Amino acid sequence: MNDSAAATKQMKSLALKSGATVVGVADAAAFDAHAPAKHRPADLLPGARTVVVVGGAQPRAGDWVATSPWVLSTMGTTERIQGVGRRLAQAIESELGHYALFVPPGTASGDTPFLSLMLAAELAGLGSRSLAGPVLNRDHGFMYWSAVITTAPLDVDPPDAAPACPAAPCREMWEREGTTPCLRVCPIDAGGCLGGRLEDQRPVRTAYDAGRCQTRVHTHWVGGFQKLLEETLNEPDRERRKMLVYGDFMTRTLWAITYSSTNIAQCFECMRVCPAAHGLREMR
Amino acid sequence: MTFFRLDPTVYARHKDEVLRLSNSFQTIEQRGLSDREIADRLGLDERTVTEIRVVAERDCYPLDEWERAIEFKRKACADWAALALKRPDLKEP
Repeated sequence: MNDSAAATKQMKSLALKSGATVVGVADAAAFDAHAPAKHRPADLLPGARTVVVVGGAQPRAGDWVATSPWVLSTMGTTERIQGVGRRLAQAIESELGHYALFVPPGTASGDTPFLSLMLAAELAGLGSRSLAGPVLNRDHGFMYWSAVITTAPLDVDPPDAAPACPAAPCREMWEREGTTPCLRVCPIDAGGCLGGRLEDQRPVRTAYDAGRCQTRVHTHWVGGFQKLLEETLNEPDRERRKMLVYGDFMTRTLWAITYSSTNIAQCFECMRVCPAAHGLREMR
Repeated sequence: MTFFRLDPTVYARHKDEVLRLSNSFQTIEQRGLSDREIADRLGLDERTVTEIRVVAERDCYPLDEWERAIEFKRKACADWAALALKRPDLKEP
């Protein structure tokens, strides 16, 4: 085994022991064809060679069938997989002696991330884009991602050859009804976010309303706070202002923001109905 | 140095085009442009484009759409629980 193969094996083993469900390595240069400048690995870490991506921390079966939509939003435990990413970054520097940059989970400006973690997962061979949008792993479905950019010359993984989307039940539903579970629950032509079709058994997205998706995914987060703050500032009546500030929307939003690492994602409806995102096992 | 303030008329003139070109609204087939690339294309400076994009991301829908989001999730979640748990009584009317 050569040096890069041994180092890759060492880091992947550490990732799995630290709690990752899957781990892969992407070529840093592969981002150039897909991501704009300032959002590529070498823009964040000069001399970047590879990107190590870990996935995991999926919701449990009980979370998916909870009757309150707010359960999944508080179970979106991205910090669990971020902890694995941070540990990997530390190990790459201390054990391999190469620079390692943990990709910050926040945004660079507005809603734009420093680096697309979904793109990183795809390029590391850990999954592919679903018709609904999120990258799905063919064995584990929907999961959270974290990534470390490094100057270490690790062995790169090939792209995923067997996409999870569309799942067999979705192909059957398309043949039968001309729609899929995700398109039916959130249809763009009926006030939702998604438009698409299956073509040669492959997902083809034809429309996506990112603005509306934002209102659902970040209902009680930065966007919701800004919208309600604007409404409050525009309200001339003192008592009416008080109702807005003390009301459920503002209160829930402030709780979510102050626990932002566990409350960022707040809409899972396209994934809740997705057969590829989570297996609906028979549970007692 | 004074605080950067976006001119509302500049915002109104360019917001749709900036959003359409930006990486905020990603599509699978086509990569979005960086703020610098959009600035070059529209003849604006990068800081102005960044500010237009960030404001426009939040300006897509009025507050009412946030309320609709709550209702959408409440209903979709209840409907799925009813189906998955085989409990029709959980379904929202």
